[in-house]
Amino acid sequence: MRRRAIVFLLAAWMAGAAAKIILPLKPDSVRFAVIGDSGTGGAAQREVALEMEECRKSFPFDFVLMLGDNIYGHKTSKDYLRKFEEPYQGLLAAGVKFYASLGNHDDPNSTAYKPFNMDGKKYYSFKKGGVLFLALDSNYMDPAQLNWLKSELHGSNATWKICFFHHPLYSHGKMHGSDLDLRKLLEPIFQEQGVAVVFSGHEHVYERIKPQKGIYYFVVGNSGELRVHNLRHSPDTAAGFDTDRAFLLVEINGNSLYFQAISRTGETVDSGELAAPQHSGSTVAAR
Amino acid sequence: MILHVTSIGLLACSLYAQAPVNPGLAAVRQFEDRVAEYMSLRAKLKPESKPLKPTPSTEKILAHEHELAKRISAARADALRGEIFTPEVAVEFRRLIAITMHGPDAPAIRASLIRAEPVWLKALRVNHLYPHDVPLQSTPPSLLLHLPSLPRELQYRVVGNALVLLDVGADLIVDYLPHAIDPVP
Repeated sequence: MRRRAIVFLLAAWMAGAAAKIILPLKPDSVRFAVIGDSGTGGAAQREVALEMEECRKSFPFDFVLMLGDNIYGHKTSKDYLRKFEEPYQGLLAAGVKFYASLGNHDDPNSTAYKPFNMDGKKYYSFKKGGVLFLALDSNYMDPAQLNWLKSELHGSNATWKICFFHHPLYSHGKMHGSDLDLRKLLEPIFQEQGVAVVFSGHEHVYERIKPQKGIYYFVVGNSGELRVHNLRHSPDTAAGFDTDRAFLLVEINGNSLYFQAISRTGETVDSGELAAPQHSGSTVAAR
Repeated sequence: MILHVTSIGLLACSLYAQAPVNPGLAAVRQFEDRVAEYMSLRAKLKPESKPLKPTPSTEKILAHEHELAKRISAARADALRGEIFTPEVAVEFRRLIAITMHGPDAPAIRASLIRAEPVWLKALRVNHLYPHDVPLQSTPPSLLLHLPSLPRELQYRVVGNALVLLDVGADLIVDYLPHAIDPVP
């Protein structure tokens, strides 16, 4: 126990100063964080978690989206403790809710793990303000899930429809790259049903893709794992970061979505404002 | 008039009786029957096989998974590979997979397989647990569109070049079809 406390203090010291929040903090906005490929249980994951805690002091976000690979390796109770409950204990104690999606390293039965808020489902949706969030299981995109997705999207008049899942439809990571088969099936649904933003992980880097067919794509796969210098240069990359761990803060207010990507050490590595899709093209103003 | 209709009816019956059975369709039906048998056996293990309610206790989740696996594997102690992917089913599945893997979607599916972190296990064994520390490779969605649908408790998973029928709730390998998918580099 004492050893753990020392490790935490050391991690806090190493994590450095809190990032300067440049998000607008408008009243009644929907505020959340995004992490992906986080569940290593390593020091870097803990440092990212501490940085998130620090940021929350000036940007009080209510929940966190998890983009899969939430628990790497073995899945004993000790693993859940070391790879989730301990790193995020500060956020969990503060009442921050985590909404998980499944990665290829996750136990499909972790849907029953209450702190992941999946309610036993591999894919599910929830609403916050005028925002519809859909967690998908990109490991197993069968016709049943595709039909469910179409129906959920079709039945919603939310201003923002946001999907999050593990395997990216667009990525310029050298390790995996885009999942073309998944893209072929999901992208037409996203377009037709007005999905505005997609968050994915799997690739252990941060990348923001230039809007593709009017949809904003983010890859946040370096909140625990990291593949240094693994981003391939591409004209479709709007911003990238592959030299340290990172997470994303998001604020949505009316027709605007503000984002700030922050590194393990508190450096702002990307930020900007996106406009809600008008079904006739969207704009992005990156800072 | 009545005689005429009866003659047509008899002719139709005779033609129907002689109509060749589509072997592919028959194989799919056989597969579905075997899956239904498995699900029926699984259902008999209730209440333990009921979906687990969300819990903060990972011990409970693992215990539920292990208990279910233990009961199913005990009930199928003599299960052998090929009991669900029978030789007839295997032929049809390999045909369906080949159509998908060599059709217009083939490049995207191959890329998807490679990018999903291909998984190889030292040995695949029916009625054995899928190891928790080994990632589960995603199954290309285009492939899933071409295969018979499964109850939500079961999934098709790719392991090496085998197609595995996995009981997700029990983390148990129900059956597998070797050499189903061309190896990816």
